[in-house]
Amino acid sequence: MSDISSSVAQRVRGIVDQAILRSVKGLEFVTAAAPTVGMTPKEVLYERGTLKLYHYLPQADEVYRVPVLLVMATTNKAYVFDLAPGQSMVEYLLKQGFDVYVIDWEPPRPEEKNLDLADYTQDFIPTCVRCVQQDCGETDISIVGYCMGGVLSLIYAATHLDGPLKNLACITTPVNWAEMGLTRIWSDEKHFDVDRLVDTLGIVPKSVVEASFEMLRPAQKAAGRIRVWEQIWNDEFVKSYRAFERWGNETLPLAGEYFRQTTKELMWANRLYTGDLVVGGHKVDLANIKVPIMHAVAEHDHIVNYKASKPLLELVGSNDKEELVLKGGHVSLIAGPNAVRRMWPALSRWLGERST
Amino acid sequence: MTDQSKPSDPAERFREFVTEWERGFDALANRFMGTDEFSRAMNQFQNMQLTLQKGFAEVMARQLAAVNLPSREDVLRVGEAVHELDMRVARMELKLEQIARAVGVESERRKQGPPRTKRSPSATAAGA
Repeated sequence: MSDISSSVAQRVRGIVDQAILRSVKGLEFVTAAAPTVGMTPKEVLYERGTLKLYHYLPQADEVYRVPVLLVMATTNKAYVFDLAPGQSMVEYLLKQGFDVYVIDWEPPRPEEKNLDLADYTQDFIPTCVRCVQQDCGETDISIVGYCMGGVLSLIYAATHLDGPLKNLACITTPVNWAEMGLTRIWSDEKHFDVDRLVDTLGIVPKSVVEASFEMLRPAQKAAGRIRVWEQIWNDEFVKSYRAFERWGNETLPLAGEYFRQTTKELMWANRLYTGDLVVGGHKVDLANIKVPIMHAVAEHDHIVNYKASKPLLELVGSNDKEELVLKGGHVSLIAGPNAVRRMWPALSRWLGERST
Repeated sequence: MTDQSKPSDPAERFREFVTEWERGFDALANRFMGTDEFSRAMNQFQNMQLTLQKGFAEVMARQLAAVNLPSREDVLRVGEAVHELDMRVARMELKLEQIARAVGVESERRKQGPPRTKRSPSATAAGA
């Protein structure tokens, strides 16, 4: 009987302690400044309008010969690759001996409203590739594209067949846009007047992009708030939550022509999948991609359904190809606990074997 | 089946409840928002907003013209001209690089980093 009462007393004490901590930490949470993110030392190598190229300072005594260029999705900031020490894909790759470069995007300025897929894939990526080559003195390069960054990387790879690309890794990259679920339904040509939106606004505002993500999981924000309140005494949990929250709130607006072309060519006509896409006068046939390719997909991705990303490896012409299916969602694949345990080591191993 | 030997943790139960609530709410909302009717209504609402925004912009442009001030369009045109110059400079840089390469003048490597001699994981394992 005394054991039971002491166990109950312990649990009550634990609950009271947590309640006190919750009040103290809750005040800190409300008053704290925005969390610091993207702390791994880096330098800006090139910037022009919406485009920014970073070089992260190497952290190993010797590095692989082939540098790695990460291409971020145009909808979000690239610091999701470098959220916090210990929660940073960039830091992990640096410590594994890679020379890491990252393409990040700034909000496009009003005068950049006419940027389209050709600008991103025939100008921005090739320019960054040249900068990387010049900076590190190597010709070969590996590219890792995340989400829409993966689509841009695929278009670049399929239209630069004699280029310096040595390896290509795509992460949750949509290929069959007919399987984009709710996003496809909401942007159906029967109801969605993309011309009117782009012609009126020029730049597609952040609010539209943000709403399209949030509507996919309408309860996510509220549930997140409840979870953080419940776990507010847990400093690590709160730190991670705040970093993700900041990243989620910093969605980027999109250049109008790029949005129009993505909607019409990829979403409506599904041309990347059918092989009929033409960008800057070049036909984008994924079968022309022959370099080693890896595709990491998330089983529970609510933004890019597994069905939308799965066909990539069937479409490319590479002999050396590998699919990595992981549990988790669209973002946790690159920055969550599953990323730390499985995704980063797998990517590092795959690239490491092909980067000498 | 619940493990009867362990006392239930109320915090864990609460977390499970929140997860279940989130899943249920999202599933219900997605069923509703995944309909053709929702898509139509949402886009009609957006079109209405765009019409209002366009009308407001036109009125504002007329007001600015009346007081002899540049409109947003005028400012954007200046921005576009600067952007075009920016693009031309970028193209000229590229041409200069190509010419330099063609005549055998390689651009100097910016800095000295660690040696690029790291071996692949399998080679390292085989050599160990």
